[in-house]
Amino acid sequence: MTRFLKLVNFELGRFMKIYLALIGITIISQIAGVIIKSNSYISRANEAIYEDLVPKEEFFATEGLMSVLQVTRSLWFMGPIALCIAALIFYIFFIWYRDWFGKNTFIYRLLMLPTARIQIFLSKGVSILLMVFGFVAIQLMLLPIESVILKWIVPLDYRIDMTAGEIIQNSYLQTLIPSTFIEFVLYYGAGIMAVFIIFTAILFERSFRLKGVLLGAIFVGMTVLVFFSPILIMEIMQTYYLYPIEIFILEIILGLMLISVSIWTSHFLLKKKIAV
Amino acid sequence: MIEVKNISKKYGRKKVLNGVSFTANKGEITSLIGINGVGKTTILNAIMALTPVNSGEILINNEKINKASYEKITFIPDAITMLPQMTIAEAMQFMQDFYESWNQERATELLGFFKLKGSDKISSLSKGNTAKVNLLLGLALDVDFLLMDEPFSGIDIFSREQIAEVFTSHLIEDRGVIITTHEINDIEHLIDKVILLDEGTVIKEFNTEEVRENEGKSVIDVMREVYRT
Repeated sequence: MTRFLKLVNFELGRFMKIYLALIGITIISQIAGVIIKSNSYISRANEAIYEDLVPKEEFFATEGLMSVLQVTRSLWFMGPIALCIAALIFYIFFIWYRDWFGKNTFIYRLLMLPTARIQIFLSKGVSILLMVFGFVAIQLMLLPIESVILKWIVPLDYRIDMTAGEIIQNSYLQTLIPSTFIEFVLYYGAGIMAVFIIFTAILFERSFRLKGVLLGAIFVGMTVLVFFSPILIMEIMQTYYLYPIEIFILEIILGLMLISVSIWTSHFLLKKKIAV
Repeated sequence: MIEVKNISKKYGRKKVLNGVSFTANKGEITSLIGINGVGKTTILNAIMALTPVNSGEILINNEKINKASYEKITFIPDAITMLPQMTIAEAMQFMQDFYESWNQERATELLGFFKLKGSDKISSLSKGNTAKVNLLLGLALDVDFLLMDEPFSGIDIFSREQIAEVFTSHLIEDRGVIITTHEINDIEHLIDKVILLDEGTVIKEFNTEEVRENEGKSVIDVMREVYRT
């Protein structure tokens, strides 16, 4: 267990500089977005109300009141989130391939550690998961800060104050930060499953090279097919005999099964088939 | 004892190893010799379970390799296996974190022996010093067997001499060593057993002392005989 935690810590450390840079970009961009969007709103309001003499009510009717929600729809806000997501998707592949194709072949060292090789797989998966939770935590902390900044800039009668929960529920953030436990299990469970399945596909490629690409693709295709089979079968048969809660439970079972298959297959590949 | 039993390995259609068998004992230096591409590195990788073999079996102290084996056997490849951004001290710390067999005292001794500085970054090291760090990380483990892949490859004469010195020091002592090398001159007098390979098969296996005493031949003499015929 200690070695596993050390491996996780080591994996996190290897991405830390880029990770912190991404967090920095997110903080700067979102706060800059709040400041720029708020100032722009105030300028438009001043111009309309004091120069063009548009009644306040009419301005609010056309422009709406200012809130963090308006910022969340801008590139300032969504841009860094998209960048972080893209970076993590890239990292799911990079976390393995750098060990083979980096300047020094670190995979030699990893595979020769006196620990079960599946721990390498799991530590990389847990690292990705922790990084995702880290981003989400930072975002959760940023929302109240952004609300306070907006309050400093925009006068009370020009704005709607929203709690972090309200902002999340009314924006794309609800996908990243689910409001119910079921949604959390669904989104993050599917995410973890996808990461593990991609990891296994990568290990197929690393074990069998060109042939492995095909095997990996077949593995991914099969898992997608199995995961969506309850929905697909109902669509094909045109008989919707399962209640949503039943589909949900079935998907959870299938998801857990596929995660187990992915871990078992990866364990086999790492132990018996992997080549440096 | 390391027992390599009738292993074969194919890369695509190309057969790299074809029924290779040999044993390597603790306290002996066994050298795998052959031209490039003959399968020397593949054998070492196979022993360490870093590449799967198509058939055959490898036993280390009568057991198939498992996670615990990596505390008993280590592999020093021809390229360093630590991250370039690490310092030598960080690489040593990494080893200490993961290996119970890590001997910090010996590591510090080796650092001095090789005249290396812990604060130096791996990426900034010369080829000779990189080879020394690689060797340090392997030798500082209290293991029974050391596998070395071309430890003298592409390094200057002074570094070569320093590395060769290791073989006569207490740093090797009772351990079993399997070494692949082209620079046979540097360690010819230290080798106990030679395995000559050609086209993925063992073409001759001999004890150097016996050949020296009975036939008055050096390892190089035998190599000339075998490879020229």
